[in-house]
Amino acid sequence: MTNLLARFFGDSASGITLTDKIATGYASLNGSAVCVIGTVEGTYINDAAALLLSAQVLDCIESKPGMPIVMLVDSAGQEPNRTAEMLGLPFYFGHLLTCLEVAREAGHKLVTVATGKAIGGAFLCYGMFADAIYALDSASLGLMPVEAMSAVTKIPVATLQELSKTLPALEFGAGPFALLGGVMEVWPTDDSLPAKLSAAIDAATTEDTRALLGKERGGRPQALDVQQRVLAESAA
Amino acid sequence: MSRVPYHELKARERIAAIVDPGSFSEIIPPPERVMSAYLPKLGIPVAFDDGIAIGRASIAGKPLYLAAQVGQFVGGSVGEVHSAKLVGLLKSAARDRLPCVFLVESGGVRLHEGSSGEIGIAEAIRAVFDCRAAGAPTIAVIGSDIGAYGGMGILSACCDFRLMTEHGRIGISGPIVIEKWMGKEAFDSSNRALVWKTSGGKTRFLLGDAEALVNDSTDAVRDGILSLLSRSAKPDLAFVKARQKFLQERLDTFGKTPDPDAIWAALGIRDVAAATLAEASEFVESFAPKKP
Repeated sequence: MTNLLARFFGDSASGITLTDKIATGYASLNGSAVCVIGTVEGTYINDAAALLLSAQVLDCIESKPGMPIVMLVDSAGQEPNRTAEMLGLPFYFGHLLTCLEVAREAGHKLVTVATGKAIGGAFLCYGMFADAIYALDSASLGLMPVEAMSAVTKIPVATLQELSKTLPALEFGAGPFALLGGVMEVWPTDDSLPAKLSAAIDAATTEDTRALLGKERGGRPQALDVQQRVLAESAA
Repeated sequence: MSRVPYHELKARERIAAIVDPGSFSEIIPPPERVMSAYLPKLGIPVAFDDGIAIGRASIAGKPLYLAAQVGQFVGGSVGEVHSAKLVGLLKSAARDRLPCVFLVESGGVRLHEGSSGEIGIAEAIRAVFDCRAAGAPTIAVIGSDIGAYGGMGILSACCDFRLMTEHGRIGISGPIVIEKWMGKEAFDSSNRALVWKTSGGKTRFLLGDAEALVNDSTDAVRDGILSLLSRSAKPDLAFVKARQKFLQERLDTFGKTPDPDAIWAALGIRDVAAATLAEASEFVESFAPKKP
Protein backbone atom coordinates (compact mmCIF):
# COMPACT_ATOMS: atom_id res chain seq x y z
CA MET A 1 0.00 0.00 0.00
CA THR A 2 2.79 2.43 0.87
CA ASN A 3 3.94 1.64 -2.68
CA LEU A 4 0.72 3.02 -4.10
CA LEU A 5 0.91 6.17 -1.96
CA ALA A 6 4.52 6.63 -3.07
CA ARG A 7 3.46 6.28 -6.70
CA PHE A 8 1.30 9.37 -6.32
CA PHE A 9 3.23 11.35 -3.75
CA GLY A 10 6.84 10.05 -3.79
CA ASP A 11 8.76 10.63 -0.56
CA SER A 12 6.10 13.05 0.63
CA ALA A 13 3.82 10.02 1.20
CA SER A 14 5.49 9.89 4.62
CA GLY A 15 3.20 12.79 5.57
CA ILE A 16 0.22 10.46 5.31
CA THR A 17 -0.69 8.57 8.47
CA LEU A 18 -2.29 5.13 8.31
CA THR A 19 -4.61 4.43 11.27
CA ASP A 20 -6.35 1.06 10.98
CA LYS A 21 -6.11 1.30 7.17
CA ILE A 22 -7.53 4.82 7.13
CA ALA A 23 -5.18 7.27 5.41
CA THR A 24 -5.08 10.94 6.44
CA GLY A 25 -2.51 13.67 6.01
CA TYR A 26 -0.82 16.09 3.67
CA ALA A 27 1.53 15.31 0.81
CA SER A 28 3.11 16.85 -2.25
CA LEU A 29 1.82 16.11 -5.73
CA ASN A 30 3.92 17.31 -8.66
CA GLY A 31 5.30 20.05 -6.41
CA SER A 32 1.94 21.21 -5.03
CA ALA A 33 0.60 20.45 -1.56
CA VAL A 34 -2.56 18.38 -1.28
CA CYS A 35 -4.67 17.00 1.55
CA VAL A 36 -5.20 13.23 1.39
CA ILE A 37 -8.00 11.15 2.87
CA GLY A 38 -8.56 7.52 2.02
CA THR A 39 -9.03 3.87 2.71
CA VAL A 40 -6.47 1.16 1.87
CA GLU A 41 -6.24 -2.59 1.48
CA GLY A 42 -9.98 -3.06 0.99
CA THR A 43 -10.78 -2.25 4.62
CA TYR A 44 -14.36 -1.93 5.82
CA ILE A 45 -15.40 1.55 6.76
CA ASN A 46 -17.28 2.27 9.99
CA ASP A 47 -18.27 5.18 12.22
CA ALA A 48 -14.80 5.64 13.70
CA ALA A 49 -13.23 5.61 10.23
CA ALA A 50 -15.69 8.23 8.98
CA LEU A 51 -14.77 10.49 11.92
CA LEU A 52 -11.05 10.14 11.20
CA LEU A 53 -11.64 11.19 7.59
CA SER A 54 -13.94 14.09 8.52
CA ALA A 55 -11.45 15.33 11.15
CA GLN A 56 -8.81 15.55 8.41
CA VAL A 57 -11.19 17.46 6.13
CA LEU A 58 -11.94 19.92 8.95
CA ASP A 59 -8.24 20.36 9.68
CA CYS A 60 -7.64 21.10 6.00
CA ILE A 61 -10.43 23.70 5.84
CA GLU A 62 -9.12 25.43 8.95
CA SER A 63 -5.39 25.29 8.41
CA LYS A 64 -4.91 25.00 4.62
CA PRO A 65 -7.43 27.28 2.93
CA GLY A 66 -8.25 26.19 -0.60
CA MET A 67 -5.90 23.21 -0.65
CA PRO A 68 -7.17 20.43 -2.96
CA ILE A 69 -8.41 17.28 -1.23
CA VAL A 70 -7.51 13.96 -2.83
CA MET A 71 -9.71 11.02 -1.88
CA LEU A 72 -8.31 7.53 -2.37
CA VAL A 73 -10.77 4.66 -2.19
CA ASP A 74 -9.98 1.03 -1.47
CA SER A 75 -12.81 -0.23 0.70
CA ALA A 76 -15.03 -3.29 0.42
CA GLY A 77 -18.00 -1.52 1.97
CA GLN A 78 -19.54 -0.40 5.21
CA GLU A 79 -19.11 -2.70 8.17
CA PRO A 80 -22.35 -4.61 8.89
CA ASN A 81 -22.50 -4.13 12.64
CA ARG A 82 -25.55 -3.69 14.83
CA THR A 83 -23.93 -1.41 17.41
CA ALA A 84 -22.63 0.88 14.66
CA GLU A 85 -26.12 0.99 13.14
CA MET A 86 -27.60 1.79 16.55
CA LEU A 87 -25.14 4.66 16.98
CA GLY A 88 -26.36 5.99 13.63
CA LEU A 89 -23.91 4.93 10.92
CA PRO A 90 -25.77 6.90 8.18
CA PHE A 91 -25.24 10.02 10.27
CA TYR A 92 -21.49 9.46 10.54
CA PHE A 93 -21.36 9.04 6.76
CA GLY A 94 -23.70 12.03 6.29
CA HIS A 95 -21.42 14.11 8.50
CA LEU A 96 -18.37 13.19 6.39
CA LEU A 97 -20.26 14.24 3.25
CA THR A 98 -21.35 17.49 4.90
CA CYS A 99 -17.75 18.28 5.86
CA LEU A 100 -16.72 17.70 2.23
CA GLU A 101 -19.51 20.00 1.05
CA VAL A 102 -18.34 22.75 3.43
CA ALA A 103 -14.84 22.25 1.99
CA ARG A 104 -16.16 22.48 -1.58
CA GLU A 105 -18.01 25.71 -0.79
CA ALA A 106 -14.84 27.10 0.79
CA GLY A 107 -13.05 26.56 -2.53
CA HIS A 108 -11.28 23.23 -1.98
CA LYS A 109 -11.26 21.02 -5.07
CA LEU A 110 -12.27 17.44 -4.40
CA VAL A 111 -10.82 14.70 -6.61
CA THR A 112 -11.23 10.94 -6.10
CA VAL A 113 -9.12 8.07 -7.35
CA ALA A 114 -10.58 4.59 -6.83
CA THR A 115 -7.41 2.57 -6.32
CA GLY A 116 -8.82 -0.81 -5.27
CA LYS A 117 -12.26 -1.82 -4.09
CA ALA A 118 -14.83 0.95 -4.33
CA ILE A 119 -18.02 -0.73 -3.34
CA GLY A 120 -21.47 0.29 -2.15
CA GLY A 121 -21.74 2.59 0.86
CA ALA A 122 -17.98 2.88 1.23
CA PHE A 123 -17.78 4.61 -2.15
CA LEU A 124 -20.96 6.65 -1.60
CA CYS A 125 -19.87 8.07 1.75
CA TYR A 126 -16.97 10.13 0.37
CA GLY A 127 -15.38 9.11 -2.96
CA MET A 128 -18.49 9.50 -5.12
CA PHE A 129 -19.05 12.98 -3.69
CA ALA A 130 -15.98 14.45 -5.43
CA ASP A 131 -15.96 17.10 -8.16
CA ALA A 132 -14.22 14.58 -10.40
CA ILE A 133 -13.76 10.84 -10.00
CA TYR A 134 -11.09 8.64 -11.59
CA ALA A 135 -10.16 4.97 -11.24
CA LEU A 136 -7.13 2.78 -11.75
CA ASP A 137 -7.71 0.11 -14.39
CA SER A 138 -7.21 -2.60 -11.75
CA ALA A 139 -9.86 -1.17 -9.42
CA SER A 140 -13.08 -3.02 -8.60
CA LEU A 141 -15.94 -0.57 -8.78
CA GLY A 142 -19.59 -1.29 -8.46
CA LEU A 143 -22.56 -1.96 -6.30
CA MET A 144 -21.66 -5.59 -5.73
CA PRO A 145 -20.17 -8.55 -7.63
CA VAL A 146 -22.67 -10.59 -9.71
CA GLU A 147 -22.37 -13.54 -7.31
CA ALA A 148 -23.66 -11.40 -4.43
CA MET A 149 -26.28 -9.80 -6.68
CA SER A 150 -27.48 -13.27 -7.67
CA ALA A 151 -27.73 -14.42 -4.05
CA VAL A 152 -30.04 -11.52 -3.18
CA THR A 153 -32.10 -11.22 -6.37
CA LYS A 154 -32.35 -15.02 -6.98
CA ILE A 155 -31.41 -14.39 -10.61
CA PRO A 156 -28.85 -17.02 -11.75
CA VAL A 157 -25.23 -15.89 -12.01
CA ALA A 158 -25.06 -17.06 -15.63
CA THR A 159 -28.06 -14.88 -16.57
CA LEU A 160 -26.50 -11.82 -14.89
CA GLN A 161 -23.15 -12.46 -16.55
CA GLU A 162 -24.76 -12.78 -19.97
CA LEU A 163 -26.78 -9.59 -19.46
CA SER A 164 -23.76 -7.69 -18.17
CA LYS A 165 -22.27 -7.92 -21.68
CA THR A 166 -24.86 -5.40 -22.84
CA LEU A 167 -25.66 -3.76 -19.48
CA PRO A 168 -22.46 -2.32 -17.98
CA ALA A 169 -24.39 -1.40 -14.82
CA LEU A 170 -24.42 -5.09 -13.90
CA GLU A 171 -20.72 -5.58 -14.55
CA PHE A 172 -18.09 -4.94 -11.94
CA GLY A 173 -15.00 -2.87 -12.69
CA ALA A 174 -13.51 0.48 -13.66
CA GLY A 175 -14.34 0.25 -17.39
CA PRO A 176 -18.06 -0.47 -16.99
CA PHE A 177 -18.33 2.20 -14.28
CA ALA A 178 -16.84 4.73 -16.68
CA LEU A 179 -19.45 3.81 -19.31
CA LEU A 180 -22.11 4.77 -16.76
CA GLY A 181 -20.43 8.14 -16.25
CA GLY A 182 -19.43 7.18 -12.69
CA VAL A 183 -15.76 7.85 -13.40
CA MET A 184 -14.36 10.36 -15.88
CA GLU A 185 -11.34 8.33 -16.95
CA VAL A 186 -9.62 5.04 -16.20
CA TRP A 187 -5.88 5.24 -15.57
CA PRO A 188 -3.19 2.58 -15.97
CA THR A 189 -1.02 2.15 -12.88
CA ASP A 190 2.20 3.67 -14.18
CA ASP A 191 4.57 6.60 -13.68
CA SER A 192 2.16 9.05 -15.27
CA LEU A 193 -0.17 8.98 -12.23
CA PRO A 194 1.16 12.10 -10.42
CA ALA A 195 0.91 14.19 -13.59
CA LYS A 196 -2.55 12.83 -14.37
CA LEU A 197 -3.87 13.48 -10.87
CA SER A 198 -2.36 16.94 -10.87
CA ALA A 199 -4.02 17.76 -14.20
CA ALA A 200 -7.30 16.30 -12.93
CA ILE A 201 -7.23 18.65 -9.94
CA ASP A 202 -6.62 21.63 -12.24
CA ALA A 203 -9.49 20.59 -14.52
CA ALA A 204 -12.03 19.81 -11.79
CA THR A 205 -15.19 21.90 -11.61
CA THR A 206 -18.09 21.67 -9.18
CA GLU A 207 -20.57 20.70 -11.89
CA ASP A 208 -21.86 17.12 -11.68
CA THR A 209 -21.44 15.76 -15.23
CA ARG A 210 -22.08 12.07 -14.52
CA ALA A 211 -25.52 11.85 -16.12
CA LEU A 212 -24.23 13.59 -19.26
CA LEU A 213 -21.22 11.24 -19.48
CA GLY A 214 -23.45 8.21 -18.88
CA LYS A 215 -25.63 9.21 -21.79
CA GLU A 216 -22.74 10.07 -24.12
CA ARG A 217 -21.00 6.79 -23.35
CA GLY A 218 -24.23 4.82 -23.61
CA GLY A 219 -24.02 3.04 -20.25
CA ARG A 220 -26.77 5.01 -18.51
CA PRO A 221 -29.03 6.12 -21.34
CA GLN A 222 -32.09 7.25 -19.34
CA ALA A 223 -30.77 9.29 -16.41
CA LEU A 224 -29.98 12.63 -18.09
CA ASP A 225 -33.20 12.73 -20.12
CA VAL A 226 -35.37 12.01 -17.10
CA GLN A 227 -33.55 14.60 -14.96
CA GLN A 228 -33.94 17.25 -17.65
CA ARG A 229 -37.55 16.37 -18.29
CA VAL A 230 -38.39 16.83 -14.59
CA LEU A 231 -36.58 20.18 -14.57
CA ALA A 232 -38.42 21.33 -17.69
CA GLU A 233 -41.86 20.21 -16.53
CA SER A 234 -41.43 21.68 -13.03
CA ALA A 235 -40.59 25.05 -14.60
CA ALA A 236 -43.70 25.05 -16.78
CA MET B 1 -56.92 14.41 14.86
CA SER B 2 -57.39 11.90 12.11
CA ARG B 3 -56.10 8.48 13.07
CA VAL B 4 -55.27 7.19 9.61
CA PRO B 5 -52.07 5.20 10.22
CA TYR B 6 -49.36 6.66 8.01
CA HIS B 7 -47.39 3.44 7.78
CA GLU B 8 -50.31 1.47 6.37
CA LEU B 9 -50.81 3.75 3.37
CA LYS B 10 -49.34 3.53 -0.11
CA ALA B 11 -47.29 6.32 -1.67
CA ARG B 12 -50.07 8.25 -3.44
CA GLU B 13 -52.46 7.76 -0.51
CA ARG B 14 -49.83 9.30 1.76
CA ILE B 15 -49.46 12.28 -0.55
CA ALA B 16 -53.25 12.77 -0.78
CA ALA B 17 -53.60 12.60 3.01
CA ILE B 18 -50.81 15.07 3.73
CA VAL B 19 -50.98 17.85 1.13
CA ASP B 20 -53.73 20.43 0.59
CA PRO B 21 -56.67 18.80 -1.23
CA GLY B 22 -56.14 18.76 -4.98
CA SER B 23 -52.79 20.53 -4.75
CA PHE B 24 -50.58 17.66 -5.92
CA SER B 25 -49.47 18.02 -9.50
CA GLU B 26 -47.47 14.93 -10.48
CA ILE B 27 -44.45 15.23 -12.75
CA ILE B 28 -44.02 12.33 -15.22
CA PRO B 29 -47.10 10.50 -13.90
CA PRO B 30 -47.65 6.77 -14.55
CA PRO B 31 -49.51 7.24 -17.90
CA GLU B 32 -46.23 8.60 -19.31
CA ARG B 33 -44.72 5.16 -18.76
CA VAL B 34 -41.18 6.33 -18.07
CA MET B 35 -39.84 3.15 -16.57
CA SER B 36 -36.92 0.84 -16.00
CA ALA B 37 -35.13 -0.55 -19.05
CA TYR B 38 -33.43 -3.17 -16.87
CA LEU B 39 -36.26 -5.07 -15.23
CA PRO B 40 -37.86 -6.43 -18.44
CA LYS B 41 -34.50 -7.92 -19.43
CA LEU B 42 -34.42 -9.71 -16.08
CA GLY B 43 -37.98 -10.94 -16.47
CA ILE B 44 -39.27 -8.76 -13.63
CA PRO B 45 -42.51 -6.74 -13.87
CA VAL B 46 -42.06 -2.98 -14.31
CA ALA B 47 -43.95 -0.10 -12.72
CA PHE B 48 -45.09 2.79 -14.89
CA ASP B 49 -43.68 5.25 -12.33
CA ASP B 50 -40.55 3.20 -11.49
CA GLY B 51 -41.67 3.12 -7.87
CA ILE B 52 -41.75 6.82 -7.10
CA ALA B 53 -44.29 9.62 -7.39
CA ILE B 54 -42.86 13.16 -7.62
CA GLY B 55 -44.43 16.56 -8.09
CA ARG B 56 -45.45 19.92 -6.69
CA ALA B 57 -47.99 20.43 -3.94
CA SER B 58 -48.78 22.70 -1.03
CA ILE B 59 -49.25 22.16 2.68
CA ALA B 60 -51.25 24.84 4.51
CA GLY B 61 -50.82 26.96 1.40
CA LYS B 62 -47.02 26.69 1.38
CA PRO B 63 -45.70 25.43 -1.97
CA LEU B 64 -43.18 22.61 -2.01
CA TYR B 65 -41.76 19.72 -3.99
CA LEU B 66 -42.60 16.24 -2.84
CA ALA B 67 -41.54 12.66 -3.58
CA ALA B 68 -43.09 9.45 -2.30
CA GLN B 69 -41.48 6.07 -2.77
CA VAL B 70 -43.58 2.98 -3.45
CA GLY B 71 -42.41 0.28 -1.07
CA GLN B 72 -44.57 -2.36 -2.76
CA PHE B 73 -42.45 -2.08 -5.91
CA VAL B 74 -39.08 -3.86 -5.46
CA GLY B 75 -38.85 -2.53 -1.89
CA GLY B 76 -38.96 1.11 -2.96
CA SER B 77 -35.52 0.55 -4.41
CA VAL B 78 -33.65 3.17 -6.40
CA GLY B 79 -32.86 2.37 -10.03
CA GLU B 80 -31.78 4.59 -12.91
CA VAL B 81 -35.14 6.23 -13.65
CA HIS B 82 -36.16 6.38 -9.98
CA SER B 83 -32.95 8.18 -9.05
CA ALA B 84 -33.17 10.52 -12.03
CA LYS B 85 -36.66 11.58 -10.89
CA LEU B 86 -35.21 12.29 -7.44
CA VAL B 87 -32.32 14.30 -8.89
CA GLY B 88 -34.62 16.31 -11.18
CA LEU B 89 -36.94 17.07 -8.27
CA LEU B 90 -34.09 18.20 -6.01
CA LYS B 91 -32.61 20.41 -8.71
CA SER B 92 -36.06 21.92 -9.30
CA ALA B 93 -36.35 22.67 -5.57
CA ALA B 94 -32.89 24.26 -5.49
CA ARG B 95 -33.70 26.36 -8.58
CA ASP B 96 -37.03 27.56 -7.18
CA ARG B 97 -35.78 27.74 -3.56
CA LEU B 98 -38.71 25.66 -2.40
CA PRO B 99 -38.75 22.96 0.26
CA CYS B 100 -38.27 19.37 -0.89
CA VAL B 101 -40.01 16.66 1.14
CA PHE B 102 -39.32 12.93 0.76
CA LEU B 103 -41.77 10.35 1.97
CA VAL B 104 -39.07 7.70 2.18
CA GLU B 105 -39.78 3.99 1.84
CA SER B 106 -36.74 2.29 0.40
CA GLY B 107 -34.22 -0.45 1.04
CA GLY B 108 -31.67 1.51 -1.01
CA VAL B 109 -30.11 0.97 -4.41
CA ARG B 110 -32.02 -1.43 -6.70
CA LEU B 111 -29.69 -4.40 -7.01
CA HIS B 112 -31.20 -5.36 -10.37
CA GLU B 113 -29.82 -2.16 -11.90
CA GLY B 114 -26.42 -2.51 -10.31
CA SER B 115 -24.14 0.49 -10.34
CA SER B 116 -26.63 2.61 -12.27
CA GLY B 117 -28.82 3.26 -9.22
CA GLU B 118 -25.75 3.69 -7.05
CA ILE B 119 -24.44 6.53 -9.22
CA GLY B 120 -27.99 7.94 -9.31
CA ILE B 121 -28.09 8.10 -5.51
CA ALA B 122 -24.66 9.77 -5.49
CA GLU B 123 -26.06 12.40 -7.87
CA ALA B 124 -29.12 12.82 -5.65
CA ILE B 125 -26.92 13.32 -2.57
CA ARG B 126 -25.05 16.10 -4.37
CA ALA B 127 -28.38 17.63 -5.36
CA VAL B 128 -29.53 17.56 -1.70
CA PHE B 129 -26.59 19.84 -0.95
CA ASP B 130 -27.55 22.07 -3.91
CA CYS B 131 -30.83 22.59 -2.07
CA ARG B 132 -29.12 23.24 1.25
CA ALA B 133 -26.80 25.78 -0.38
CA ALA B 134 -29.83 27.51 -1.92
CA GLY B 135 -31.62 27.63 1.44
CA ALA B 136 -34.33 25.23 0.25
CA PRO B 137 -35.10 22.96 3.21
CA THR B 138 -34.86 19.21 2.60
CA ILE B 139 -36.98 17.00 4.84
CA ALA B 140 -36.95 13.20 4.97
CA VAL B 141 -40.12 11.67 6.39
CA ILE B 142 -39.34 8.18 7.63
CA GLY B 143 -42.41 6.38 8.86
CA SER B 144 -42.81 3.21 6.83
CA ASP B 145 -41.95 -0.34 7.83
CA ILE B 146 -39.31 -0.59 5.11
CA GLY B 147 -37.69 2.59 6.38
CA ALA B 148 -34.66 4.27 4.83
CA TYR B 149 -31.76 1.90 4.21
CA GLY B 150 -28.58 1.68 2.19
CA GLY B 151 -28.04 4.72 -0.01
CA MET B 152 -31.43 6.14 0.97
CA GLY B 153 -30.33 6.00 4.62
CA ILE B 154 -27.25 8.04 3.72
CA LEU B 155 -29.28 10.47 1.58
CA SER B 156 -31.81 10.94 4.39
CA ALA B 157 -28.98 11.64 6.83
CA CYS B 158 -27.76 14.41 4.49
CA CYS B 159 -31.10 16.27 4.52
CA ASP B 160 -31.67 19.29 6.75
CA PHE B 161 -34.27 17.46 8.84
CA ARG B 162 -35.71 14.04 9.53
CA LEU B 163 -39.27 13.54 10.72
CA MET B 164 -39.85 10.03 12.03
CA THR B 165 -42.61 7.93 13.49
CA GLU B 166 -41.88 4.96 15.70
CA HIS B 167 -42.57 2.73 12.69
CA GLY B 168 -39.78 4.37 10.74
CA ARG B 169 -36.23 3.06 10.73
CA ILE B 170 -33.04 4.45 9.28
CA GLY B 171 -29.79 2.61 8.74
CA ILE B 172 -27.37 1.36 6.12
CA SER B 173 -27.14 -2.41 6.51
CA GLY B 174 -30.49 -3.97 7.40
CA PRO B 175 -30.95 -6.56 10.16
CA ILE B 176 -31.01 -9.58 7.83
CA VAL B 177 -27.69 -8.59 6.23
CA ILE B 178 -26.09 -8.07 9.64
CA GLU B 179 -27.41 -11.39 10.92
CA LYS B 180 -25.99 -13.17 7.86
CA TRP B 181 -22.66 -11.44 8.34
CA MET B 182 -22.21 -11.45 12.11
CA GLY B 183 -24.38 -14.41 13.15
CA LYS B 184 -27.70 -14.71 14.93
CA GLU B 185 -26.13 -14.19 18.36
CA ALA B 186 -24.86 -10.77 17.19
CA PHE B 187 -28.20 -9.69 15.70
CA ASP B 188 -31.35 -11.79 15.67
CA SER B 189 -33.28 -10.16 12.83
CA SER B 190 -36.53 -11.79 14.00
CA ASN B 191 -36.30 -9.90 17.32
CA ARG B 192 -38.62 -7.06 16.28
CA ALA B 193 -38.14 -5.09 19.50
CA LEU B 194 -34.37 -5.09 19.06
CA VAL B 195 -34.64 -4.23 15.35
CA TRP B 196 -36.74 -1.16 16.10
CA LYS B 197 -34.69 -0.10 19.13
CA THR B 198 -31.56 -0.31 16.97
CA SER B 199 -32.72 1.93 14.13
CA GLY B 200 -36.27 3.08 14.94
CA GLY B 201 -37.68 6.55 15.44
CA LYS B 202 -37.51 6.68 19.23
CA THR B 203 -33.81 5.80 19.42
CA ARG B 204 -32.98 8.18 16.56
CA PHE B 205 -34.91 10.99 18.25
CA LEU B 206 -33.18 10.40 21.59
CA LEU B 207 -29.75 10.41 19.96
CA GLY B 208 -30.54 13.62 18.08
CA ASP B 209 -30.61 12.16 14.56
CA ALA B 210 -34.32 12.84 13.99
CA GLU B 211 -35.45 16.41 14.62
CA ALA B 212 -39.08 15.37 15.10
CA LEU B 213 -40.82 12.24 16.34
CA VAL B 214 -44.57 12.18 15.75
CA ASN B 215 -47.48 9.78 16.04
CA ASP B 216 -48.20 7.36 13.22
CA SER B 217 -51.04 9.42 11.75
CA THR B 218 -51.19 11.44 8.55
CA ASP B 219 -52.28 14.56 10.46
CA ALA B 220 -49.33 14.33 12.84
CA VAL B 221 -46.95 13.82 9.92
CA ARG B 222 -48.42 16.82 8.07
CA ASP B 223 -48.18 19.06 11.16
CA GLY B 224 -44.63 17.87 11.71
CA ILE B 225 -43.61 18.72 8.12
CA LEU B 226 -45.25 22.13 8.48
CA SER B 227 -43.19 22.87 11.61
CA LEU B 228 -39.97 22.24 9.67
CA LEU B 229 -40.81 23.94 6.35
CA SER B 230 -39.74 27.46 7.13
CA ARG B 231 -36.39 26.53 8.62
CA SER B 232 -33.25 25.74 6.71
CA ALA B 233 -29.85 24.81 8.05
CA LYS B 234 -27.11 25.59 5.55
CA PRO B 235 -24.05 23.81 6.89
CA ASP B 236 -20.98 25.94 7.67
CA LEU B 237 -17.66 25.27 9.37
CA ALA B 238 -18.98 26.01 12.87
CA PHE B 239 -21.87 23.61 12.29
CA VAL B 240 -19.72 20.69 11.13
CA LYS B 241 -17.12 21.29 13.86
CA ALA B 242 -19.85 21.05 16.49
CA ARG B 243 -21.20 17.91 14.79
CA GLN B 244 -17.72 16.34 14.77
CA LYS B 245 -17.46 16.84 18.54
CA PHE B 246 -21.01 15.59 19.10
CA LEU B 247 -20.57 12.40 17.05
CA GLN B 248 -17.14 11.71 18.56
CA GLU B 249 -18.59 11.98 22.07
CA ARG B 250 -21.41 9.64 21.09
CA LEU B 251 -18.94 7.07 19.80
CA ASP B 252 -16.71 7.44 22.88
CA THR B 253 -19.68 7.09 25.23
CA PHE B 254 -21.67 4.34 23.54
CA GLY B 255 -19.30 2.66 21.09
CA LYS B 256 -19.09 -0.42 23.31
CA THR B 257 -22.71 -0.43 24.48
CA PRO B 258 -24.67 -3.03 22.51
CA ASP B 259 -27.77 -2.75 24.73
CA PRO B 260 -30.21 -0.10 23.45
CA ASP B 261 -32.00 0.06 26.82
CA ALA B 262 -28.72 1.08 28.46
CA ILE B 263 -28.38 3.90 25.92
CA TRP B 264 -31.95 5.03 26.54
CA ALA B 265 -31.28 5.06 30.31
CA ALA B 266 -28.01 6.95 29.86
CA LEU B 267 -29.83 9.51 27.72
CA GLY B 268 -32.25 10.24 30.54
CA ILE B 269 -35.14 7.79 30.13
CA ARG B 270 -36.08 6.86 33.70
CA ASP B 271 -38.68 4.20 32.95
CA VAL B 272 -37.46 2.37 29.85
CA ALA B 273 -40.25 -0.23 29.89
CA ALA B 274 -43.01 2.41 29.97
CA ALA B 275 -41.21 4.58 27.39
CA THR B 276 -40.99 1.59 25.06
CA LEU B 277 -44.78 1.24 25.07
CA ALA B 278 -45.57 4.96 24.95
CA GLU B 279 -47.02 6.57 21.85
CA ALA B 280 -44.64 8.96 20.08
CA SER B 281 -46.26 12.18 21.36
CA GLU B 282 -46.32 10.84 24.91
CA PHE B 283 -42.72 9.66 24.52
CA VAL B 284 -41.60 13.13 23.49
CA GLU B 285 -43.60 14.98 26.14
CA SER B 286 -43.28 12.71 29.16
CA PHE B 287 -40.24 10.48 28.74
CA ALA B 288 -37.56 12.05 26.58
CA PRO B 289 -35.39 14.78 28.13
CA LYS B 290 -36.38 18.25 26.93
CA LYS B 291 -34.25 19.53 24.06
CA PRO B 292 -32.53 22.84 24.73
